[in-house]
Amino acid sequence: MGKTMIRVSGLNKRFGDNHVLKDINFEVEQGDVIAIIGSSGSGKSTLLRCLIDLEKADGGTIMIEDKALVKDGVQAPPTEVRKIISRMGVVFQHFNLFPHLSVRKNLQLAPKIVNKENKAKIEAHTEKLLGEVGLESRIDAMPSTLSGGEKQRVAIARALMMNPDIMLFDEPTSALDPELTGEVLKVMSDLAKAKMTMIVVTHEMGFARSAANKILFMNDGIILEEGTPDDIFNHPKNQRTKDFLASITNKD
Amino acid sequence: MSPHVLSLLSSIMAGLGKTLSLFAISLIVSIPLGFLVTLMLRSKLKVVKGIAEVYVYILRGTPLLLQLFFVYFGLPFIPGIGKYMVFERFQAACIAFALNYAAYFAEIFRGGLLAIDDGQYEAAKVLGLTHFQTMWRVVLPQMIRVTLPAVSNETIVLVKDTALVTAIAVPEIMYYAKGAVVRDADPTAFIVAGAIYLVINFFITIIFKELEKKTDF
Ligand SMILES: Nc1ncnc2c1ncn2[C@@H]1O[C@H](COP(=O)(O)OP(=O)(O)O)[C@@H](O)[C@H]1O
Ligand SMILES: [Mg+2]
Repeated sequence: MGKTMIRVSGLNKRFGDNHVLKDINFEVEQGDVIAIIGSSGSGKSTLLRCLIDLEKADGGTIMIEDKALVKDGVQAPPTEVRKIISRMGVVFQHFNLFPHLSVRKNLQLAPKIVNKENKAKIEAHTEKLLGEVGLESRIDAMPSTLSGGEKQRVAIARALMMNPDIMLFDEPTSALDPELTGEVLKVMSDLAKAKMTMIVVTHEMGFARSAANKILFMNDGIILEEGTPDDIFNHPKNQRTKDFLASITNKD
Repeated sequence: MSPHVLSLLSSIMAGLGKTLSLFAISLIVSIPLGFLVTLMLRSKLKVVKGIAEVYVYILRGTPLLLQLFFVYFGLPFIPGIGKYMVFERFQAACIAFALNYAAYFAEIFRGGLLAIDDGQYEAAKVLGLTHFQTMWRVVLPQMIRVTLPAVSNETIVLVKDTALVTAIAVPEIMYYAKGAVVRDADPTAFIVAGAIYLVINFFITIIFKELEKKTDF
């Protein structure tokens, strides 16, 4: 059995009167690739953002590699939070590259000023990771000159520069032209094959089916159904899951 | 150029140093001070934010000439502390200008920060940057680019505003020009002075255009 990377229990989150996450429970084992699916507004992003301290949980417990980010609704102290979230990399829907820095400097900023790694090591790491996402030749490009697919691959490489144990993706291909999603999904599949622990919020059912080992279907702030891709896609139990899958396949 | 214009030029140029140093000191002090006020405007502490808002409101809402007179003629009369607030003409001009322009720059920078996407702060945070590193390495460079045109504009206004300090007899360009016009009963000196301001602003425009090109990404 792999070690437990994330354990979420009784997680609740409200925005004012809007109860967005209602008593969420799930676990992530090392090497898991979890796809979170569900309709817009069901709380997928909020859930992911709570894990990385971009939103503060109101209640419940979030354990990251046996350290409590939130324990019974109480946040860990800021220095502890920094340490815990440094074990995770995040890829956003809109890339959030630093537009004033070249690809190289986007990748190197955090290793340099946060981890204070030595230059040669950073340089070698940069080249290795850009190679893995197929962008060695764009190392000195500015983000504004990249396509969406290239931007997102740079964003993935940037997150990997910090050697995370867990990668979180929030709809990494939703902002891309359809013909550019493939190159990003390919990089993510490679990461999954390399046994990176991943949580991916996605509308790409093909990717969820082939790369994930576990699917969480979220509906209205709860995890309504969870299981293997085969369970969810071929034998959905809940009517809402069926409706959602029907609506999303019809769109394709 | 006629010898008359040349001699006017050389006598007016005697004020160039004062004009340029007032300009430079005001700019160098007011930009960081303005940024500090911007940070105060964004403070979660109500008192800090309130102070910054009142500061900007007063300095942008009253005439610069009044502020200049207040610093030079007014401050020394404040009971008790007035005797520590006696400044030379040039010092008073620098103080009034730096405080005044800081208020304008604060508003410009505030607008520039609004243009920076939340995603930038979030990306910096999840990469482990501290708040200070995020401001210095991520936010500030982008803010500078966004605000450069407005800062350029304000800088040109500052060059022209330096002429106001002739009202407290700081011996700058305008002071000598006015002296020459009154002495010779001939307006040519004003035209010469105007030409000098134009030349200064010509160079400032070029410098900012270059900066805009350099920071374009
Ligand atoms: N920062 C926020 N402030 C207020 N409401 C929010 C905020 N973020 C998300 N919400 C609300 O929370 C609910 C879930 O949103 P989200 O987690 O983004 O859903 P999903 O990612 O599944 O589309 C929505 O009703 C949304 O309007
Ligand atoms: Mg979302």
